[in-house]
Amino acid sequence: MYNIDMEDIDLEKRYDLIVLGGGPTAIGCAIYAARFALDVLVIGKIFGGLIATTHLVENYPGVTSTSGQGLMEMFKEHMNSLCIPYITDEIRNIEQASDHFILYSFFQKFKAKSVVIATGSERKKLGIPGELEFAGRGVSYCATCDGPFYKDKTVCVIGGSDSAAKEALFLSQNVKKVYIIYRGEEIRAEPINKKRVEENQKIEIIYKTNVTEIKGDNTVKSVIFDNGKEFEIDGVFIEVGSIPNSDLAKHIGIRTNEKDEIIINRKSETNIPGVFAAGDVADAPFKQAITGVSEGVIAAYSAFDFIKEMNIEY
Amino acid sequence: MSQDDKYKEIIKKEMAKLTKPARLKIFTSQRTEADGSKIRACMDCGQFMALLRIYEENSNGMLTIEELSIDNNPEFVKSYDIQRVPTILFINDDGREIIRYLAAPRGGEIQPFVQSLFTFAGAPNYYEATIKQNLDRIQPSTIKVMITEMCPYCPSVVSTASQFALASEGKIRTVIVDILANPDIGQFYDASGVPYTIINDKKTLVGMVGANEILGALIGGNIKVQY
Repeated sequence: MYNIDMEDIDLEKRYDLIVLGGGPTAIGCAIYAARFALDVLVIGKIFGGLIATTHLVENYPGVTSTSGQGLMEMFKEHMNSLCIPYITDEIRNIEQASDHFILYSFFQKFKAKSVVIATGSERKKLGIPGELEFAGRGVSYCATCDGPFYKDKTVCVIGGSDSAAKEALFLSQNVKKVYIIYRGEEIRAEPINKKRVEENQKIEIIYKTNVTEIKGDNTVKSVIFDNGKEFEIDGVFIEVGSIPNSDLAKHIGIRTNEKDEIIINRKSETNIPGVFAAGDVADAPFKQAITGVSEGVIAAYSAFDFIKEMNIEY
Repeated sequence: MSQDDKYKEIIKKEMAKLTKPARLKIFTSQRTEADGSKIRACMDCGQFMALLRIYEENSNGMLTIEELSIDNNPEFVKSYDIQRVPTILFINDDGREIIRYLAAPRGGEIQPFVQSLFTFAGAPNYYEATIKQNLDRIQPSTIKVMITEMCPYCPSVVSTASQFALASEGKIRTVIVDILANPDIGQFYDASGVPYTIINDKKTLVGMVGANEILGALIGGNIKVQY
């Protein structure tokens, strides 16, 4: 998957469609594009996207319960069965030629008749003192990645979303105690996860509290609350939402909203003909793997339609 | 099908595509008893060997795994600075170490390991042209990638760092360390998060980093690319 099929990747080729991203949206889009007989290439910074860090997925139809990584394994298998090439790289600029786009990555140049931007989102930082200093040394944005380092220790999850609740539930399997620290009055988790949190003896929620600083020596030792209290802790997991990866889109003149999300219509079209967007990077109000896949599939169809209507040979 | 069986299937499917020969060395604690039987004192060594044999057996004879006992090969142990077992080494034709694994290539780590094997055997390397263009700006370097088996971001960083080493004509060496299996190394670098990438024991890149960020850290400036 990680460029294994380099022999199948033709850098001189003008692809019908290049999909940017490595998550469910991008892969869903590529699978449909391949089935529309489009010559498709996927370029992603990381295979799996944000969902790969989720320990439990229970809302993807047909899959009763799996991990985010497990779901992406299935996506990978499906993609491999259609021989869709995947490259680990990042596109930093796109130029428009007469009837195609030129995409510049840090390592190569690619040509495509249409482009789907499905670059997803990344975890939002808190922006408090100590956060960057202790990143990887007690501050984490991924419980699946780093949870095992905190066996029998005390950790906190900052945030009150469904993702924060799921992170806390995952961490509770190994740690001594998990505190959810949330500025609001009630966590916003899905009812099923909220109930699980409330019933979990290892999880305690601290409401109406902000963390203003993370302190430690070589590793994290405590956090400071906005009431001035210092709270001893071994690990801090930050889960305060995400920001869309739309820098490239903005750079090439694609319209975004006040949240930096790409503005798309029901056909996943952006303001640039031939460039489509889908998933977390776009302006949908509800962002899930399944809604991203849906937008990605629509984008694949729109790209197919675009090439056909433009009479670009394919 | 169990997860282990699923991974075996992936190894089988991928290794069947290897068409050029490759040889890896693995250092273990194997020793011969008085009665001629062979035992491995370290438990992980047996597991690593069993895993590597799956790669070897499914490679149509293209992959050779050479097991070297640290007791019987003191000259190798010294020249390659083997400090723990099991250690897997990718060594090029000049005898230069390119990639060192202090981690088991299983689970999500199968794909980057297979990719390294293929490139090591001569398959095209996506980063080769850019690495070669920037080679004069790269000092002899070591990239250490701290990982765990369950980390979903780690395979991608391992893949990039390994491909860099394979493209660098021996200027870059990549070391992959599972810090749950080697907690002392994690503690030495104060790493309690993965992926955790260390360039020349000086610069640390925390979390998911792209190929451009790793190369940027290696050359300390903008990447030269001739499209």
